[in-house]
Amino acid sequence: MIDKQFLIDFEIEVKEVYDSGKITAPVHLSGGNEEQLIKIFEDVNEDDWVFSSWRNHYHALLHGIPRDTLMDLIVRGKSMSVYSKEPKFYSSAIVGGIIPIALGAAKALKMKQDDTLNKNYYRDNERKVWCFIGDMTFETGIFYEAHKYTKNFDLPLQFVVEDNGLSTNTPTDKTWNGRRDRPSDVIYYQYERVYPHHGTGNWVLF
Amino acid sequence: MKYKDEIIRSMEWLADKDDTIFFGQSVLYSGNAIYNTLKTLPEEKRIELPVFEEIQMGMSTGMALEGLVPISCFPRFDFFMRCMDALVNHLDKIQEMTEETFKPKVIMRTSIGSTTPLNGGVQHTQDYTVPIIKMLHEVNVVLLNEPKQIFPAFESAYDRDGSSLIIEWGDYYNEK
Repeated sequence: MIDKQFLIDFEIEVKEVYDSGKITAPVHLSGGNEEQLIKIFEDVNEDDWVFSSWRNHYHALLHGIPRDTLMDLIVRGKSMSVYSKEPKFYSSAIVGGIIPIALGAAKALKMKQDDTLNKNYYRDNERKVWCFIGDMTFETGIFYEAHKYTKNFDLPLQFVVEDNGLSTNTPTDKTWNGRRDRPSDVIYYQYERVYPHHGTGNWVLF
Repeated sequence: MKYKDEIIRSMEWLADKDDTIFFGQSVLYSGNAIYNTLKTLPEEKRIELPVFEEIQMGMSTGMALEGLVPISCFPRFDFFMRCMDALVNHLDKIQEMTEETFKPKVIMRTSIGSTTPLNGGVQHTQDYTVPIIKMLHEVNVVLLNEPKQIFPAFESAYDRDGSSLIIEWGDYYNEK
């Protein structure tokens, strides 16, 4: 069982390796949202898809990617594009880009579950898709369209909005001069970032 | 066989596969020439989507990650431009990003808009084949100039790992 301290300690180790100069690619450390995520992942099944962003270490660990596998990916410069076939995990480092991919996976699952496709070929179950996005991504048009399609077709896709108020260091509130309404079917939580947008504050910008 | 007939034959061959699904705009409802190459397919194999090309391209990637082979239809090359992020930054980079763990198979269809008997003008007739080839590294791009190319191109797109963009000439639907 992964607890809060396990997550914090993992990122501390990444920070130490990064500060040593061994990692020659950006890292986006997680922090400050351990309790919220541990709670959310109680409902994520091991066969579910999890789609994430550049800040994905906690999602990856909580979905079951082994600690050493994840650390190896990060040290090899894959922090922004963590992936896994089993458990099913994929991330994108471009704002909004992961949303339609998650939508497509959910559409495929729904077609299997509804027997839209040849049911002798596909036998599916109750798998689900989880898509974790930040507050700036939540404000984009692509989220609006994808959420509408998800809702109207009752797709097995759960959006989770992780609101730290910032996109890199750009404040979401100020740049939009307000926020959109939050749909009731979206999981939403706020937290304060512990680390900078990327890196540890001791290395370089990219 | 003629150009359009070869495309129809290819679509019918793909539709016989259990894992294929056709979707996009004008796949279930008329309105663009591409519809006439799909109308013989079973309705349950065709999903009409809203007009949201970027989402359509991302959806294609997600469906392929889940094991389907989407035949993602964009009626005109001009409209296809609206899906560039999902294509260039995502689908086309996924094998390198995942160290070849994921090789989603998406078959994209688009068409250089016809100029006769009606010329749709600069927003409906552009050929972006050359710049697209330069931009893409993992997606295989095929321009269908002759009828004899057509069936092998779709057959190869289905059989190979990874994704393909197959570009048609709208004018050849009538000319060749």
